[in-house]
Formats: sequence, C-alpha cells, structure tokens
Amino acid sequence: MTRLLLLCALAAFSIAPAMAGSFAGSSAGASSAGSSASSGSTSGDDKVVLQARGDAAGFVASDGRIRGAMLEAALHHLRENSPAARRASDMELARAILAQ
Amino acid sequence: MAPVRPNLRARRLRWLAACRFACALPSQAALQLRLAADALTPEQAEAARQILDDAARRLPAAWIESLDHPITVQWTGDLPEGVHGRARGDTLYLRRALLDAWIARPAGAGDEDPATRAALAAAIHELAHVHDRSPRGGLSRDPRLLDLAGWQVGPLRFGLRLSRNAFTDRSPDPYELADPAEFVAVNLEHFVLDPAYACRRPALHRYFAAHFGTTPPHPDCAPRLPYLLPDAGDGQALLLELDPARVQAVDYLLAEGNDRAMSRWGHSMLRLVVCAPGRPRGPDCRLDLQHHLVLSFRAFVDDVQVSSWRGLTGSYPSRLYVLPLQQVVDEYTRIELRGLQSIPLRLDDAEIGGLLERAARVHWSYDGDYRFITNNCAVETFKLLHDGVPRLAGAGLSSITPNGLLHRLARAGVADRTVLDDPALALREGYYFAPASAHYQAMFEVADDFLQLPTGDAMGWFELSPTDRAPWLERGDLRASAALLLLEEAALRRAQLLARDELKRLLGRNTGDGTDTTETRARLDAVLALEGLLSRPAGLLSSGYGLPQRSEREALIARAGQQARRLREQDRRLHRDARALLPRRQRDALAAIEANIAVLGSRLRRLHRESGGLDLDRLSAEPLR
Repeated sequence: MTRLLLLCALAAFSIAPAMAGSFAGSSAGASSAGSSASSGSTSGDDKVVLQARGDAAGFVASDGRIRGAMLEAALHHLRENSPAARRASDMELARAILAQ
Repeated sequence: MAPVRPNLRARRLRWLAACRFACALPSQAALQLRLAADALTPEQAEAARQILDDAARRLPAAWIESLDHPITVQWTGDLPEGVHGRARGDTLYLRRALLDAWIARPAGAGDEDPATRAALAAAIHELAHVHDRSPRGGLSRDPRLLDLAGWQVGPLRFGLRLSRNAFTDRSPDPYELADPAEFVAVNLEHFVLDPAYACRRPALHRYFAAHFGTTPPHPDCAPRLPYLLPDAGDGQALLLELDPARVQAVDYLLAEGNDRAMSRWGHSMLRLVVCAPGRPRGPDCRLDLQHHLVLSFRAFVDDVQVSSWRGLTGSYPSRLYVLPLQQVVDEYTRIELRGLQSIPLRLDDAEIGGLLERAARVHWSYDGDYRFITNNCAVETFKLLHDGVPRLAGAGLSSITPNGLLHRLARAGVADRTVLDDPALALREGYYFAPASAHYQAMFEVADDFLQLPTGDAMGWFELSPTDRAPWLERGDLRASAALLLLEEAALRRAQLLARDELKRLLGRNTGDGTDTTETRARLDAVLALEGLLSRPAGLLSSGYGLPQRSEREALIARAGQQARRLREQDRRLHRDARALLPRRQRDALAAIEANIAVLGSRLRRLHRESGGLDLDRLSAEPLR
C-alpha cells in the first residue's frame, strides 16, 4: 500500500514553478546560462539556437558523439535560413551556437 | 408518479400541417401534442399553441418521428421554484408563468428575447426527455454520449463510470451535470436553439447531428482551438489558437521515473508535433521543436509542500496544462534529471482532430480532483485518449501507471516503440531526451583528459567548492571548456535544488525558528494565487460557455496578459527576497557558480573567435537566396 501511495508524479515540483522552476533554474535560466544573449530580448528564431546551447556543448565536448534533438533542430533551422550555414559542417555550426 | 389527469374539456389540437411544411418532414411524421387547456384563458391557450408550434418546427425530423404517440401538454402553476417543466410518461408539464411572459413580450421579439428563449427551451427540454426515453432515443445510456458529457470511465471500476461529472467550468447550465438524462435534455435545448452550439461544443454537436441525421449549416465559428499557455516563456501568458491540421503527430510522452517518491512511476503526457508556420505538413515537422506542445495533467499544489494525505483524498485540483515542449524537456532532463521517451501514436488525421478538440474541452471545462491512485496523470491521460479517440475506447488501455499505459498502447498496436531501437537516432530525432546526468561522467572525462582535474570523477568535482573549481575553468581548450560548462550548469542546478529545499523549510507554515519570513511568505502566496488563476483558464472569463469564441478570446488575451505580467513581477521580487533569506553560505555558493558560468561563457566565446569560427550574427545578416 505504501508503495502505491508513491504513484506517478504528483509532479509536485513542476507544478509550482515558483518553487521549482525558479529556484531550481527555470527553463530559460538553465539553457541560456553563461550566454551573452539575454533570453528576454530574443525572437523565436534566436530561441531555437539558444535552446540548443546545451546540446551544442555536449556535441563539441564529445567530438560529435552526443547529438541531441535540440541541436539537430537548430542545425536544420540555420541551414534553412542561410546559405553559408548550408556550407558549414555540423561541428562548425555547433561551435558557433556554443559561442552565442 | 404524477398521474395524468383526465382532460376535461380538453381541446385536442394537432398541428400536423405546420410541422410538415416547415421542416419538410416525411409525410407520415407528425408530432401529436394534445393541449390540456382546461385551466387556461383563451389568450394563454393561444400562446401555448404558438410555443409548441414554434418548438416543434425547430426539431429534426428524426426527433419528431420518434414521438409517434400522442403527448399531453399541461401548463401548470404547481412546479417547484426554478423548475420550468417535467416529463412524466406521455405528459409534459410546463410552467404556466412561461405563457404569461410569452404574452407580455414586446412586439416582434426574436429568438434572443428571454421569454421566447425560456418558453422554447422548456418545451424542447421536455420533448428531449421524451425522445431520449423512446426506442429511437437512448442517448443518455449511450457510452459515447457519456464519454463526451464527462461521466468518465473509472480505472478501477471494471468499466463502471464515475458518478460525478467534473466538467463544471464554462457550463451553459449547471443543471446539465445533475445526471446524463438532464445533460441530454439541456444540451438538446442548445443544439436546437443556439447557433453557436456547434462552435462551443463541436464534438457534442457532431454527435447529435449524426444521431438525428441532420446536416446543419456550418456556423461562423472562431477558427482553431484555443488553449491558454500559462507560461509561454518570458513570463508571458499566451492564448494559443491551434489548427489541428498543423499537427503532424501525437506522441505519448513518458517522463521516466526516478527514485524520488512522487515520481517513482514516471509521468504521462502527450506531445503535439506541431509544424512550424509555413512548413508543409510532413516528417520535417519532427524537428520544429520550438513549436511542439505538451498536454500534461498536473495537480495544482497551492503550497510549497505536497501533502500525501491531500493527494490521496483528492483535494488538489487536477488540471490539463498546455506547455511548450522546450520547457517540459528542460524541466525533466535538466532539473529533475529524468529521461523523456516520446513514442508516436498511430492516429489518423480525424482522430488527431478529435483528440485535440477533446483536450480543448478538458482544458476549458474540467475541474477534477487529483488522486494518487485513482485519478493520477496516467488515468487522466488514459481518459483523454479514451474520450477523444473513440477507437481507443475499446482497446483496453486502462492503467493506473504511466508505464502500464504505454505498455497497453504498444500492445494495442497504437504506440510504436521501435523508434527507441537505435538509441543514437532516437536522441538525434527527439524520440528520446536523455537526462543531463547521463553525460556528467563523460563530460568530466573530456575535461580531465585535457586538464588532469584534481578529483577522480564527476561527483567529486561537484563536491569541490565553486571557488576551488574556478581556477580550472580558465585553462581548458574549446572541448574541455564546453564539458566544464555543462558540469558547472549541473552544479548550479544542484545548488538551486538545495536552496529550494532550504526555502521550503523556511517558508513552511510552522518553522518557528525565529526567521522572519512573513513578507516573503505573503509574496509566495500571491505568486501561487496568480499561478492558480492562470492554471484554470475558465476562471479568467465570466461570459459564454464551452470553447471561447471571438469576443471572449479578446477579453481573455487582455486579462491573461495582465495576470501574467503581475505574476512575472511578483515572481521576480519573490526570487530576490527568497535569495536574501538563504543562509549566507548558500547565497555565496550560488553567486560563485554563476560567476564560474559567466567565466566559461566568455572563455568559449573568446576561444571560438580566436580560432576564426563562424559568427552566427553574420550568418543571419547574409541575404537569403
């Protein structure tokens, strides 16, 4: 019975973002920490790139072995919008995203 | 019950012709209403005839055909307060005062006139009961109607339904919640009389139209399905208007369990793969992550502590939140360190449309109670799939755990778990989001290879004080610095979690250790109250029922925007105050880690610049072909 009580996610921590998100690092805080761009002033497009910063760090650090979907999405996005990005390699773009 | 009194001097009226021509009925269909006019003045009798004529003229042919025996209509002054009518056997009792109000109407009163509306609604309501009880009716016993209405199946009741209908918000008339028969009668009133019914309760409208075989003219509904995002990022609430045709797929999104009590069994959600504006619907939409949404049932906890007792007894409200995917991924993978599996469901376009429409109804009307066992996230998600996709109602999906539900979805051939077969591909295409902790050790080793760090593993590195880590952060190459950045961000989240626990203790109601937290506590309560408001979108609107239409959406945008701005401001102050409450040691640690992250950020930028790397700003300034 005690085990049953522990069922699924009263997701308590995520419900009250005042305590969870904020003090434990909100989404914006977590992903743009250390970035020069402030999340408050970014357009939706820049957000794709900002959100990929964590994945880009993993990709660069692991020399391409760790490759998350956020990075993949940002690579697609950059290449859809820029011919120069289409000529650049994944690693070149990942480094550029990381240096945001 | 109420015996049918003999109709002394009853004038037997039949209005066959009017009905036949007005509704283009098949010739044999005729509503046979006998007016018991014994106690009516001639004027009242005329009004009664007009009302019944008018009501009958509006009914679908199949409804009229189902009433194939004479029905006596008695206008009485004996009904209890607030009751406009009753149907007993083959007799309808209607409130006599409705006749006088009808007679007193201004000349040329239209359908909008309250007296017109009340009288017609009363007559149609009672005729709906008669239809429902007829052999061709049976609406209030139809499982599909009960799904749509909100008498949902229970997970532990062997298919038995819950006795309470929790779809209490934005109801056109709370009387509909009394029981399924009243639900049918009230909704048929609106189906017949209210042109906006098709917009406000589209699924029920389609259900009734199919039942009667009618094809009503398509009304001018506000386009797309409205949902309120309580936090669309940057503290902005947003009224999202979603076009189901832009949703490429729906995934079952499972947050894997961890060893913490509340989350041991994982969390069930649904992910909407929404295509970016302008992108043709297709597989490419998979990577439009910034447009994807998550439907997540959560208990709204109005305090810093979760009480198991309240969770068990259902005193937390269960609400359907619509959240940006990015936010959900961050929350689970970076903060809670839990992986997310995103398993596509095999649904066709019509099923996706039905599911989203159902989600909108739940979002605007449902105010259920969260219960750890019988009404948790898995049960709520099961009910959403069950009620939104009729095909799944018979698929035996009922489960009280998130994993159990996924297992049953896979067994029924609905969930396609093969997307996880190749882990690297799953990660790359967003079928799996790994917890940040999965890479801590690998990151540590990358940095250690280059820098020969003073600890043996990642955990040891985290145990160092931030100031002890600081000197190492300025010595790495690009790879090592990238790895250290991820580790430092992880360290920050660890410190933030510790701070949160400390604050929970300090702000709990009865700490009694002398710290004056009154003001911060008040601010926290204000934040929680605002979040509560935004978590129940119906509470932001005072008019209309069902899905909000145009003018309501405009009002909502203004109101929700205002509340979200207040919330953001309060939240900002709460952070400032709360941080000041922390013990000095914790405050210093947080500041030191933040400084470390800033150092790594500038180091990465400098190394990148010095190596002549690509500049994203220049990329985007380049003209498009």
